[in-house]
Amino acid sequence: MLRTVINKLVGSVAAIFGASIISFVFLRVLPGNPARLIVGPLAPASSLLSVEKQMGLDQPVIVQYGRYMTSFLRGDWGFSYGAGVPVTTEMASRLPASLELGFYAFLLAFVAAVICALLATYRYRPVTDGVVRGTAFFGLSVPPFWFGLLALLLFFATWGILPGPEGRLSTSTTPPPSITHFYTIDALLHGQLSTFVDAVRHLILPAITLGLAPFSYLVRLLRANLLDVSREPFIIVVRSKGIGRFLAFARHALPNAFLPTLTAAGLVLAQLLSGSVLVEKVFNWPGVGALVTDSILRQDNAIVQTFILLSATAYVVVNLVVDILYGVIDPRVRIS
Amino acid sequence: MKASVHAPPEATVLIRRRRVRPTRWATVRHATQFVLGDRALAPATLLLLALVVLAIFGPLVWSKDSLGIDIGNTLQAPTVTHPMGTDGVGRDILARFIGGARISLLTGLVVVLAGATLGSAIGVMAGYYGRWVDAVLMRIMDAILAFPPLILAMAVTVGLGVGVTTAAIGITLTSVPFYARLLRSEVVRLRTLPFVEAASALGATQRRIILRHIVPHLSSTLLVQAASVFGYAVLSLAALGFVGLGAQVPTPEWGSMITDGMQYTLTGQWWIGVFPGLGLLVAVTATSLISDRLRDILDPRGQARG
Repeated sequence: MLRTVINKLVGSVAAIFGASIISFVFLRVLPGNPARLIVGPLAPASSLLSVEKQMGLDQPVIVQYGRYMTSFLRGDWGFSYGAGVPVTTEMASRLPASLELGFYAFLLAFVAAVICALLATYRYRPVTDGVVRGTAFFGLSVPPFWFGLLALLLFFATWGILPGPEGRLSTSTTPPPSITHFYTIDALLHGQLSTFVDAVRHLILPAITLGLAPFSYLVRLLRANLLDVSREPFIIVVRSKGIGRFLAFARHALPNAFLPTLTAAGLVLAQLLSGSVLVEKVFNWPGVGALVTDSILRQDNAIVQTFILLSATAYVVVNLVVDILYGVIDPRVRIS
Repeated sequence: MKASVHAPPEATVLIRRRRVRPTRWATVRHATQFVLGDRALAPATLLLLALVVLAIFGPLVWSKDSLGIDIGNTLQAPTVTHPMGTDGVGRDILARFIGGARISLLTGLVVVLAGATLGSAIGVMAGYYGRWVDAVLMRIMDAILAFPPLILAMAVTVGLGVGVTTAAIGITLTSVPFYARLLRSEVVRLRTLPFVEAASALGATQRRIILRHIVPHLSSTLLVQAASVFGYAVLSLAALGFVGLGAQVPTPEWGSMITDGMQYTLTGQWWIGVFPGLGLLVAVTATSLISDRLRDILDPRGQARG
């Protein structure tokens, strides 16, 4: 067991090392001289040289790589010239909005996926199954930013039932005093029911849009797993012991179908990360994703680079944890 | 041909068999019949084909300029003269839609060809030579897989400079491990099979074994993977275009057209953003249908990723 964990750890460290080199090459070496970007195109060679020296650009590439990694690990992520503050400050102020949206998108995707997968497999119902599969298929084919736009067009511009792209709250609503930085939870903690309702109404469309891809992916996976598991002999044994269909499903089939879903956690995270970049802008959601989109247009590279590195780190860590957890939960993996 | 009296009977049989082999045309006809007879493949292929025809021949039929600004006719709703309406500077959306189809489909094709070539070369080498070649190549693939795919494509375009070409390079790079890992495991399995050993025992060179005895067995795996990468490529290019890392104004590209339409959608001019998205949806849905169905038919073991 320990050996498997160590093996996986070594593999992941190698992958992270490789990934850090890729990011170093694409984000630091290829975009041109960062000193030139700071001093401007007209600066004399002498000031360019002094800035280069100050930034360590005259050092060998290996030393530069070392500095690049240590400053990233120390949380020294540079200065955002677009926002006029350090990248860390800007990211931290944007993070809660993204976390809240991502959390509800995931919750919605997960709950809906479980319900839909159960509906599709609980009994043989070709129509329900077809609808669920069709929805999942649509969810993986549709560009999320376009889906969000379509949702706004219908629910805001045409029918006017839900608020438009104005961020987390209506302009007339003041944000609740922050404890968790989640507006929905903070509002409830302070008993501000109208603020809570407003925050929820603003969350509905973005959360559905962001959750659509993970939902589709999870539904496909869960449905296939449930079908597989429900054909296993142990389910037949459970049923012949006289346990009802529902209990056999809920207590025996479902937990076993969940297990392989765990391996999808990394992929779901990737979908949420890249999804936030694509979806937040559509709804003017003041999160990290919208910040990245804006920074791309402003050519504020420090922020874009930090986001790319942080997403890769989060992705690797989640995949590693899942890998190890999976071995702990499922003894069959440990042996093979 | 004059059959010699002394020729052993087996020889004539061999010659006859050669004659009966179906011609290339018959294979094409057979494949077409198969595709058209399939309930899932037929509509998806026809849909995709329609887009391809539109992309190739569209500009011949619809002669409006995709870049032609017409200040007198901005934000026109769809009419007979502008079937998809006009945008904020009076450009014809249908002409831009056709231009977008060209860019999307061509990029998808290039990404698939480049990625499949690179990925299968890496996968075959890693699987066939094993040892350190395998170790080095697969560690590189792991490093690429350590990024969420779209995020890596973003990093590449940030590094190489924005544009359709760099976006295509980024997307290709992220697609390489999909092929390489799959083909590697196939080659590892094939390498030990008797017919490869037989070829080796007969003195075939490694080059010949790889090209004549291993690569042909990979074609169905490769085809399935290539079909799913095509959809992924089209969608990713639009996503990069949407955030401003792909095609730059005024190039007609579906993703950036949706960005352009965003500000008008809420004031009621829905056609600017809706049509390009519809194009994307059709292209990606058709390819996913094809790749799913091909996987069912050709390669039940294959797993999709991304």
